[in-house]
Amino acid sequence: MPSYSPFAAPDAPSDPTHISQLDIAGDLLARLRDTTTEPRPDIQLEALTLAVAADLPVLLWGEPGIGKTAALTQLAASLDLPLTTVIASVHEPSDFSGLPVIGDDPAEQGVPMAPPDWAVRLVRAGRGLLFLDELSTAPPAVQAALLRLVLERRIGDLQLPPGVRIVAAANPRSSAADGWELSPPLANRFVHLQWTHDHDVVVRGLGGTWPRATLPRLDPERLPEAVRFARRAVCELLSARPGLVHRLPSNETRRGGPWPSPRSWEMTLCLIAFATAAGSSREVLSLLVRGTVGDGPGLELLAGLDRMDLPDPELLLAEPESAVLPERGDLRQAVLDGVVAAVRKRPDKARWDAAWALLVRALDTGSPDLVVVPATTLASLRQQDWDVPASIERLAGAVSISRRADRAAARAAVATKASR
Amino acid sequence: MIPEPTRALDLDKLFAARLQAARARPYLATALFALHTVESRSVPTMAVDRHWRCYVSPAFVDHTPVEELAGVWVHEVSHLLRDHHGRSDRVARERGLTGPGERLRMNIAADCEINDDVYGDGLAWPQDVVEPGSLGLPEGQLMEDYLRQFRLGPRTQSHAWLDCGSGADGLDREWELGPNGAHGLSAQERDAVRFRVAQGIKGRPGNAPKAWQRWAEEAFQPPQPWRELLGAAIRSATSGSGAGQDYSYGRPSRRSAGVPGVVLPSLRRRPPRVSVIIDTSGSVSDAELGSALREVAAISRAVGGRRDLVSVLPCDAAAEVVHPLCRAEGIPLLGGGGTDLRTGFAKALRARPRPDVIVVLTDGQTPWPSAQPSCRTVVGLFPRPYDSAPYDSGAHDEDNPEYVPDTPPTWARVVEIGSTSAAR
Repeated sequence: MPSYSPFAAPDAPSDPTHISQLDIAGDLLARLRDTTTEPRPDIQLEALTLAVAADLPVLLWGEPGIGKTAALTQLAASLDLPLTTVIASVHEPSDFSGLPVIGDDPAEQGVPMAPPDWAVRLVRAGRGLLFLDELSTAPPAVQAALLRLVLERRIGDLQLPPGVRIVAAANPRSSAADGWELSPPLANRFVHLQWTHDHDVVVRGLGGTWPRATLPRLDPERLPEAVRFARRAVCELLSARPGLVHRLPSNETRRGGPWPSPRSWEMTLCLIAFATAAGSSREVLSLLVRGTVGDGPGLELLAGLDRMDLPDPELLLAEPESAVLPERGDLRQAVLDGVVAAVRKRPDKARWDAAWALLVRALDTGSPDLVVVPATTLASLRQQDWDVPASIERLAGAVSISRRADRAAARAAVATKASR
Repeated sequence: MIPEPTRALDLDKLFAARLQAARARPYLATALFALHTVESRSVPTMAVDRHWRCYVSPAFVDHTPVEELAGVWVHEVSHLLRDHHGRSDRVARERGLTGPGERLRMNIAADCEINDDVYGDGLAWPQDVVEPGSLGLPEGQLMEDYLRQFRLGPRTQSHAWLDCGSGADGLDREWELGPNGAHGLSAQERDAVRFRVAQGIKGRPGNAPKAWQRWAEEAFQPPQPWRELLGAAIRSATSGSGAGQDYSYGRPSRRSAGVPGVVLPSLRRRPPRVSVIIDTSGSVSDAELGSALREVAAISRAVGGRRDLVSVLPCDAAAEVVHPLCRAEGIPLLGGGGTDLRTGFAKALRARPRPDVIVVLTDGQTPWPSAQPSCRTVVGLFPRPYDSAPYDSGAHDEDNPEYVPDTPPTWARVVEIGSTSAAR
């Protein structure tokens, strides 16, 4: 066809300086691919890295095209593992459960289940990151075969070596075209991570600068502390709330998601230890814990961790002058309540005085309304022969605020009665 | 902790008001105390940002009585607890709302959601407060619903100065300290505070009003509209037990010829048969029923069902809705009559070939079969209009205390249809 196309060779082939259109196109592509990276914290990727390092099966839930594969590529590079991507929906179940190969005498020798080539290569390498993509669009039989691979790490007769880590990805139920849904026992074995995109990151990346996440490194010196901390966090919660040990998801919205059981608590314990050893933030830990035991129990565990971070009332009572109280009002009030409760439990004059000193210190360093309730309770603990400490004068400000609030409440009550 | 101003913010008055607020609403105390106060001359009154900072105008504190300030504290913290900034962002994205005018509308709608039960009972009504009534709207709805029902105009003119900050409508203001400023709460800390408040309300439900109890129940539920839940339930029911598209060793694969000695499975397709049993005792509106039935038909088509494989068994009262709908959708009608769901089940299971899935659309006021039927069952449950309690809370008919309806059996997957919490 003689028609002109932009990629056709120019008319003057004898020109020595001529460059073919394909070379120019290649040049343009190279310019488009020439992007830089900038360091940027990425808590999703950090959570994924920790879960993979802890050798727990991870399930990424995210809409198609959101950058799950890109994240896995970065993760594989940082863990120095070769990445094998298997698109589940284009495979047959036998690709994961093994192909029955009929030999000369099946009755005598049995029918071996032959694994596919990528599995053989993975076993030969001894290590690697296996990414099972598009789990949700695969037919049920393929999913069933895949789950055996994820949970038992077997492909046909082949056992994957411990150096191989497995990550799966699925589309959320709302965008899944067909019936993929985890049954509760299967959901319980995964760390569920919701994968979302950050608008700023995408816009900046398309502008030429992609983020480069600094990934967590486990600190060998913190390992004993990490194990101790994780065990204490989980055991304290579960001894106080025995109902949280095992709770099947009861309603339809929570189906297919994480839920608490001894198995998922063990996974949580493991993840807390890893996050502690890596010095990860609470945000990362929150993603991991809520993705393992579910939102409710996860948030209770995190609330427990917040309380573990608060200063010990006994230490505060021992040295009230140098006490450092939390800046945030609700935490500060929790500490002061704890101090008063400690005095109530073992009342004596010295502890009572120390508690007053602490309240004065709280008044000097923060807002006065927080001190009112603990001061009232502490005053009620007074015994006959205890003299009121001199420092109590300085709490007059808190008392006047309390009276002011009382008067305002009385006025409000009158006004409410009058108007409605 | 607070920068030295030219005319000082009356902190004592402000904190006395917070104390009164915490005494009047003890279940909100944690959230009230978690707010970090920032003095600001750019806000007209008080405002919050999404990082749980509370900006306060010194002049506003000066000329407002303590009891009104207490109400404003509760109002502002309610914006944060109810995640109005996150919900505003979602609504803006879903409905394509842009610009400051739309954000002002979101602020007004959010105020409407809060204000119908925030004041009174120990807290004074502030002046010029936005109420659903002042815009001619009903009480007790969600911000997303209010947002559809009014425009900026003469009625909202008096609220044009209204500014509760980015915590109320998601739009960042230039006077806010932003995510990197001091004393902000991280996303995890915000969730932790909201969770503690929700736990406190659930632990002692007697103290909190109904709206807060509902909030506490739903605060950490992911938004899941019933259409998606019903769709997921039907899809998962139809794709199991040999129906739908799946691999089977029952027949050799066409690929087998190329790989001698290896047995390959072949992809078999058997479209699912769906029977829809409709039971209405008059309390379900035609619109609800129509949308649910249309949804079931659409889903079963999406999973590969053909029109002739979806059948509908209407029970008495619904017939006049069901018939035209089925004609329009090309669905064959079966039977009719019988108000007892058990006869509906028996009839559906008598059909040859048997259905793979039975979908029941009902308001739950019916006896259920005692034994599990031989196919999977999905129940679409319409909430009863005169009792908003969920089906498993032991709700019963107030006119007849003897009558306690059976809850749907555990072998059925139950999806509540038409609950308005979808927007959260």
